[in-house]
Amino acid sequence: MPAVGAIADGFDHTWRPRLDSLLAAGRGAGADLVEIFLERTDHIGVLAEQDTITSVSPAFGMGAGIRVFLGERDGFVSTNDLSDRGLLQALEQALGMLGLARTSTPTTGFEGLGALADFADAKAHWLDRCPSLAEATLKLLEGTARLAHHGRHLQARRASYSRDWQSVLVAASDGTFAQDVRLHQSLGLNVLAADGDHRAGLGRRYGTSGRPDDLRQWDADASAQDVCASVGSMLYADYVEAGQMPCVLANRFGGVIFHEACGHLLETTQVERGTTPFADKVGELIAHEAVTAIDEGLTDGAFGSLSMDDEGMAPQRTVLIENGVLKRFLSDRAGQRRTGHERTGSGRRQSHAFAAASRMRNTFIAAGPHSPDALIASVDKGLYCKSMGGGSVGPTGQFNFAVEEGYLIENGQLTKPVKGATLIGEAKEVMPRISMCANDLELAAGFCGSVSGSIFVTVGQPHIKVDSITVGGR
Amino acid sequence: MTNLPTPDQLGQDQPTPQQHPPEQAPATLNPEALSDRLQQLARSSGIQRWDLGASCSTDTSVQVDRGEAKQMKGAQRSAITVRVWNGDGLVGITSTSDLSDGGLARALAGARDASAFGNAEETPAFSPLATAPLANLEQPLHEPQPILTLLDTLKQAERDLLARHAAIGTVPYNGLAQRSSERLYLNSDGACRHQVLTTASIYLYARAEETGRKPRSAGAVRLGYGTADLDIAGCIEEAAERTIAHLDYAPIETGHYTCVFSPEAFLDLIGAFSSLFNARAVLDGVSLSQRDSLGSSLAVPFLSIRDNGLHPGNVGASAFDGEGTPTAPLDLVEGGVLRHFLHSEATARAFGVAPTGHAGLGAKVSVGADWFEIGATPGSNGGQQGLNRFNHAGPVVVIDSLSALHAGVKASQGSFSLPFDGWLVQNGVSRSIEAATVAGDIRAVLQAIVGFEGDAKITPDGLCPYVWVEGLSVTGEA
Repeated sequence: MPAVGAIADGFDHTWRPRLDSLLAAGRGAGADLVEIFLERTDHIGVLAEQDTITSVSPAFGMGAGIRVFLGERDGFVSTNDLSDRGLLQALEQALGMLGLARTSTPTTGFEGLGALADFADAKAHWLDRCPSLAEATLKLLEGTARLAHHGRHLQARRASYSRDWQSVLVAASDGTFAQDVRLHQSLGLNVLAADGDHRAGLGRRYGTSGRPDDLRQWDADASAQDVCASVGSMLYADYVEAGQMPCVLANRFGGVIFHEACGHLLETTQVERGTTPFADKVGELIAHEAVTAIDEGLTDGAFGSLSMDDEGMAPQRTVLIENGVLKRFLSDRAGQRRTGHERTGSGRRQSHAFAAASRMRNTFIAAGPHSPDALIASVDKGLYCKSMGGGSVGPTGQFNFAVEEGYLIENGQLTKPVKGATLIGEAKEVMPRISMCANDLELAAGFCGSVSGSIFVTVGQPHIKVDSITVGGR
Repeated sequence: MTNLPTPDQLGQDQPTPQQHPPEQAPATLNPEALSDRLQQLARSSGIQRWDLGASCSTDTSVQVDRGEAKQMKGAQRSAITVRVWNGDGLVGITSTSDLSDGGLARALAGARDASAFGNAEETPAFSPLATAPLANLEQPLHEPQPILTLLDTLKQAERDLLARHAAIGTVPYNGLAQRSSERLYLNSDGACRHQVLTTASIYLYARAEETGRKPRSAGAVRLGYGTADLDIAGCIEEAAERTIAHLDYAPIETGHYTCVFSPEAFLDLIGAFSSLFNARAVLDGVSLSQRDSLGSSLAVPFLSIRDNGLHPGNVGASAFDGEGTPTAPLDLVEGGVLRHFLHSEATARAFGVAPTGHAGLGAKVSVGADWFEIGATPGSNGGQQGLNRFNHAGPVVVIDSLSALHAGVKASQGSFSLPFDGWLVQNGVSRSIEAATVAGDIRAVLQAIVGFEGDAKITPDGLCPYVWVEGLSVTGEA
């Protein structure tokens, strides 16, 4: 059975003349650069609760985002109307924002679109190869059944599946002409355990890009075991004692600390706003020498990987920090125009309704020389953060994130589980305190919400040790 | 190249090349026409029972950066969600932004296919109140302003805010936006709800820094029915006051404090734990409340919490929910006692009560609160009287705004651990707290309310006074 609501039609060759005309009109009106982003989307969300499928939610959509630059300023208009008239109205509205108007004078400064960079060709059958709804529902029910098998005191069991297919076409008056198809699938398992007054809730999410068979290969039993083991530990955990202490953060989703504490501050959007303390620090030591940090869009199957960014540029491996020294910022078109930092293939957006902005892709701290045990052994009294919840960073660089599963470290050993911890700090202060990196780098899928919407990203790190950080608790 | 229409042709429909199917979204929703189209398409597909939620909007917004336009945005959005009931009575759903005939047909087909996976154990039905009379909302419609007028207005607001204090160097997060929107609910039994609305908003978040000190930030937001009735001066004043008040900061010692929540912060906290009042969460086993919790004590005996989407302070209130049920006030907590749950049609049926107007639209219908009124229960003593943080014997922590609620609140467990901005007030002197978190359990918080300070304030999320709570754990960096 094909996926419900599937609309595998992308954008065909007939779009070239339409886009040529719009871009010529925009340039003829006096714009420095005009960019058009077209998308079609096809989404399925499925939810299983206990042993029942309780929600199947297909959605499909289309739209365009038209951005016009004049100097460092830009106007952006999005629309669901992909007719010639709808697109033209959007273009004229964007031009009008910059005081420009379409004229009948001959076009200048636009040589026509270049050859199509077609990243979609090899992905034409991705949607057809995805699991059918029947397969998806059965797999989720297997997940909730395995939770029931492995868990104790489970009051609620949930498994969710999300499949996002997106066909995009990017055309710009600098000749950029590129199309791509993206496929992201994610699976979540969530449980709530309750025993008398003791309650613990916990979840895990697994996600990949560009792998239609992903759901079929998901090991529901192993995932359920993992979730149940964690929630079992946390059910009777005491609240963490608050204070300043050393922390060891586990690999995989532990990488949210770098994402929130530093990654966002290395996006040119933050340079533009004047909200990063690192704006003038390229070439300077901003972190401990143990820290090398990378953002890239290339890792096969990773949630944040891309064949091209949302401005039509191929992604790259960007070394942000090398041995503690700041090397580069993540930049997009607007970032390059406004800050001078060269584009890094990092222009990303949730959908056509957002203008692209410099955003992270797969972001991680590189592996170090130590074993994870060595990090824990080096702490007399501290906190081991095995699993993280979400986090955020504010306009002054203050970050925070929640610890979902934590354990005390006493005399170099993991002892009892603790809950309710929130880590807070400032990037400038915490980055020099990441003093040890282990040799077990792993990545984890996540979602990041910021100026250009919610996007698929990967965070990652090996086990790391932070010498001192504020742990909020009771 | 395709020939584009010239500017003076824009008012006319343009021929679309044959190879492109018509994809034009309507600028407005026509309930009768949409209902007719759906009825026709449903009939031809053999679908007897359906309902639909639709919306469309036109937005313009501006952001500025130190006197220059940073970004100007416009958006036309449309979306529909269609539900169909199949021959076995199971429900399927599909959403789309494509309001063309092709899009509607595809949505109906998708919903019909999805209905094969409908939940036989809990099938939504039409709300019995989907044709009941709606409240008459006073919502004046405003003509949109030209975007360059918005730009000038926001530039002036930024200038005024920057001029308020030498330390305020930038307003890194700012925006002035206006929206014209329509909502629609239709069903195959003839229900037809339609609401037209205009709204506007401004937010200003300033960043201030003094030599040798850390940067500090705070802001304010205002809502209105149009840019002309936005309280921009008030927004500037509040953003400036808050930012300046955080310039002189110090770390706070970790410990247990009496905390005074600002109206915004307390409303955020209650909102984050609104599953306490949510029948959907109760039925799903993820609420701290149980089916038999109604009538039990949840809070101090002088606290009332009411959901009232119809309050005049709720700018942009919806007259009906996703199932067409009228919006109406609902007492959730009275005298500290849990009185009612928020309901959709399905949860109301399960509890044997009427829907309350708090539903979304889905295969599994979500339930959510509208707008809270929090304060003393009429006729109660209202807790400790005369509370004033500047006349209090001991130190109090004023929690001005909470952060990271998405990460630091465990709604199904009752616990929270949240970063906040605020002040330590001792001996009548207020000093900003450098960085800190507040942690606790919502059930304990509701039972540890001491009283209220000042008059209730209208905020975007509700109406609430300052709320005093004893004995909360605050973690600082001293």
